[in-house]
Amino acid sequence: MNSIIALSLFGIANLFLGFLNNRKILMPATLAFILFALGLNLADWNTEVLWFNNMLRTNNLSVNFTTVILVATLLVVAISRGFGDDEEHSHPAEYYAIMLFSVVGAIMMVTFENLLMLFIGLEILSVSMYVLTGSDKRNLRSNEAALKYFLMGAFATGILLFGVALVYGATGSFSIYGIGNFVTENRMGQSEITPMLYVGILLIIIGLLFKVSAAPFHFWTPDVYEGAPTIFTAFMSTVVKTAGFAALYRLLSVSFVGEYGKWVYLLYFLCAATLIIANITAVYQQSFKRMMAFSSISHAGYLLMTVTSNQATTQSSILFYSLAYSIATVTAFAVMILVSENKTSNGKPDESFDAFKGLAKNNPLLAFALAVSMLSLAGIPLTAGFWGKFFIFSDAFKRGLILDLIVAVLMSAVGVYYYFKPIIASYMKEGNIQEITIKPIYKLTLIITTILTILLGLMPDLVKSIF
Amino acid sequence: MSLITLIPLFPLIGFLINGIGFNIVPKNLAGIISTAAALASFCCAVVLFMNFSGEVQIAKVFDWITVGKLNISMSFQIDQLSLLMLLIITGVGSLIHIYSMGYMSHDAGYGKFFSFLNLFLFFMLLLVMGSNYVVMFIGWEGVGLCSYLLIGFWNKNTNYGTAARKAFIMNRIGDLGFLLGIFMIISHFGSVEYLDVFEDLGHGTVAGDKTIMWITLLLFIGAMGKSAQIPLYTWLPDAMAGPTPVSALIHAATMVTAGIYMVIRSNALYSLAPETLHIVGWVGLATALLAASIGIFQNDIKKVLAYSTVSQLGYMFMGLGVMAYSSSFFHVMTHAFFKALLFLGAGSVIHAMSDEQDIRKMGGLRKALPITFWTFLIATIAISGIPPFAGFFSKDEILAHVYEHSPLMWGLALAGSVMTSFYMFRLLFLTFFGEFRGTKEQEHHLHESPLSMTLPLMILAVLSAVGGFFNVPHLLGGDSKLANFMAPLFAHSHAVAHAADESLEKTLMIISVIAAILSAGIAYYLFIGKKSVPVADSKVAGLQKVIYNKYYIDELYDTIFVKPISALSKFFYSVIDFLVIDLAIEGIGKLVKGLSSEARLMQDGRTGVYLFVMVLSIAVIIVWTLKDFILVGFK
Repeated sequence: MNSIIALSLFGIANLFLGFLNNRKILMPATLAFILFALGLNLADWNTEVLWFNNMLRTNNLSVNFTTVILVATLLVVAISRGFGDDEEHSHPAEYYAIMLFSVVGAIMMVTFENLLMLFIGLEILSVSMYVLTGSDKRNLRSNEAALKYFLMGAFATGILLFGVALVYGATGSFSIYGIGNFVTENRMGQSEITPMLYVGILLIIIGLLFKVSAAPFHFWTPDVYEGAPTIFTAFMSTVVKTAGFAALYRLLSVSFVGEYGKWVYLLYFLCAATLIIANITAVYQQSFKRMMAFSSISHAGYLLMTVTSNQATTQSSILFYSLAYSIATVTAFAVMILVSENKTSNGKPDESFDAFKGLAKNNPLLAFALAVSMLSLAGIPLTAGFWGKFFIFSDAFKRGLILDLIVAVLMSAVGVYYYFKPIIASYMKEGNIQEITIKPIYKLTLIITTILTILLGLMPDLVKSIF
Repeated sequence: MSLITLIPLFPLIGFLINGIGFNIVPKNLAGIISTAAALASFCCAVVLFMNFSGEVQIAKVFDWITVGKLNISMSFQIDQLSLLMLLIITGVGSLIHIYSMGYMSHDAGYGKFFSFLNLFLFFMLLLVMGSNYVVMFIGWEGVGLCSYLLIGFWNKNTNYGTAARKAFIMNRIGDLGFLLGIFMIISHFGSVEYLDVFEDLGHGTVAGDKTIMWITLLLFIGAMGKSAQIPLYTWLPDAMAGPTPVSALIHAATMVTAGIYMVIRSNALYSLAPETLHIVGWVGLATALLAASIGIFQNDIKKVLAYSTVSQLGYMFMGLGVMAYSSSFFHVMTHAFFKALLFLGAGSVIHAMSDEQDIRKMGGLRKALPITFWTFLIATIAISGIPPFAGFFSKDEILAHVYEHSPLMWGLALAGSVMTSFYMFRLLFLTFFGEFRGTKEQEHHLHESPLSMTLPLMILAVLSAVGGFFNVPHLLGGDSKLANFMAPLFAHSHAVAHAADESLEKTLMIISVIAAILSAGIAYYLFIGKKSVPVADSKVAGLQKVIYNKYYIDELYDTIFVKPISALSKFFYSVIDFLVIDLAIEGIGKLVKGLSSEARLMQDGRTGVYLFVMVLSIAVIIVWTLKDFILVGFK
């Protein structure tokens, strides 16, 4: 909770730091801010507190989710390199400030106790994202992506808000526990439940599904991911997804669990649809970034599976998976940023798989980090991703979601096809990439994420026991 | 960090330093680092042993896997059995490290050799220290890997590479059995921790339980592979392709006794499975006899020792088969001393003879290699079971228990021990007595090995000489120290063989000693009295030829297993693979790609379309969910 206040202040502080004509201190300052917030967050461990007239709740679950979000942010900031040397057109102070503000929104999404807070958190996060997506002002694709994201995001927000209103109308409460009690008591009392509540529940779920890009609400994802500056794509695909799933999980497990039978089929089929559409479409992609967008959709599918199963272990599965996925995704994007900048086609960074050709020869570290992250995303054993998938599959198995399981296993196999493309390109194809110079902090981040991925793959209990 | 964790950690660090820095660490330093790591582990083991209170200690390092109710942790168990194994492994291991510094000094792969040796120690320590079957399995597989790496150490020679592969594959066959056994333990007991499993056994499991029988049988298949028992023994003689210190450490003193360690560790299980014990006993006996008979006609100094190892392992299993667990362990211990000594002595001879291994080309070496000769003599007496050296005590204990069980088995085992004594003295006489039969050049080159090689020989010779006194039976005025020390290990076993009747034991002892001495005498008569030398390979005929060619077992395996499997493999490759699998796989691949090229068109970039699809989906979802209400409305 204190991390929300701290991060808001730090965001403002960052804006002021922008006045000092010294760009070099921005990144270290931001890193320090995030670390400080992480410390504040961890200080809340083992306390259960309601804040601001029952608006927000901090407990171990929220601390865990906040930790994952902050770690992902930390990694993204560490590979941001102070946003380049373009003195005139880049505004690092503002970018960092907006990132911090959006993290505030994300944390509100994992701590909310009141649906209004969910809405506010979601909007803080989304509006920040619209801005960051369009931050490359002179790039047409970036502008297009921002506009698309905004249009569709606004639409989804409207749906979510409508759902909140309907639920309030049916239950008379904004509090997630209040709603939960109402739903459960009605169930017990066998009394008539109005269609209004059902529609409200469905619309809230749909609004959140849009944010985590589950099919058929995923259409914005590839276009936005591709258009946005890569660093923000990395930020989006990790922080937004984790926060979205945290919110979805809390709502479903606390408020709507009484009507499990009503929404489970929806998620059951959407999960299978998401997995199929994402993985099948990813196969044909030639651009690494677009492939990562579909990969992000497919991971939403896996995470939906454990949310659908609604087991006692679901929260730790989501946490572990989000962590594993975030680390691997940041690594992959980090490597891609370097490689694509190094190799331009028609004056633009080359984001296709071909850009990775021959990477291993002169840049063994980059190639290895990329390979490990891809293996983790594909769920190959000895990487964190394998255990992430394993926990999710075992949750689904306990609930008996057989269709989803079959689809998920088949689609994991399809996933191997496109995740291996960059590995094959970097290790087995001929290419002429010279040695790329990497800044120490960047290199350190790559090494840390790679080690973490392997470490969690060897000893999942190291983290899983905390969650 | 506790002392217990440090023991396997030292060799691991040694391996990492030498393995990762193989082209940075200077050559001299590599040997010193490895040897220091082994010695450090040995010191820790000694301290642990000194402070051991008799209570089982569990040292948990970390939780490894938790799946459902099954929790597998990386933890170590220190009790009588693991302590003794630790002392043997680190003690003999340290000596062999020292020896290797001299033996391998001319080799280009010096650093690589020591890093492998350290890795082996690490895995072997995991194997004996693990507190559950899974950790044991990690060690089990790890030592198999190291054995493979070290047998094929001189990998430029194709034959050596083939020998390494043979060892690996045969071990894998055994490992499959072991793994299945572990799975059965998991499904039956719900835990892999030794203490839990044996505790559970106490709750009314009766002898002859079928599940226990299958578990023990499967575990024994693993032991057959690792400890070279019929039918999985043929890899061990071929494993002599590796450097001699490796043969001494891995293929004689430590790794091959892993199977025996495992059975003793699981004695509570085995004692409840009389059928399995029966099989274990007879397989052991058959192996002992078969290997001993092959050993009589071998002319390669290391091959003789290899068959002798197989044969001695057979004895140990025979002991296990009659539930003489501590006697078998006693033999593991003494065998580690004298067999390591024999191999290192052989290494010293080979070193002096410029890599000649054929005993027909040796002879009279006792003058040139006095230390090697005297230590080799002690080891030969020890292995032949002639008092008062180590082998006598341990072998006679096993034989006495075997007699209790079945006099027929005892008679056959005695025949095996007669053969042992014969081929060992044959080896000794042909190598060290008589005239030198090698080339002039070799004769000129003959020299005693450096101190780093002879020192371990001397230490091991002392141990081989006095090792038997650790467990002097009551009959000879001792108090069976080792057996008493190990007694708590067998608390869970319902029936353990008890000491034999003393007067009977005395008679048996005298018979076996006389038999051993007689057969040594025959060897003396043949190879010193008549000065006969085994004939050249081409002139071997008759039954001797069959035995010399190891009963054609390798060829038999080749015909029964290898050839049909490779034929089948060819069939699958050319027919099934090509017609069925390739077509199916490529078909699926094309299908997915085709679907993908269609699916991507949905993503056409028009926001209007996206929103339309979304709205349509929302409408469908709502209508479908509310269909009950809507239908009610129509009624």
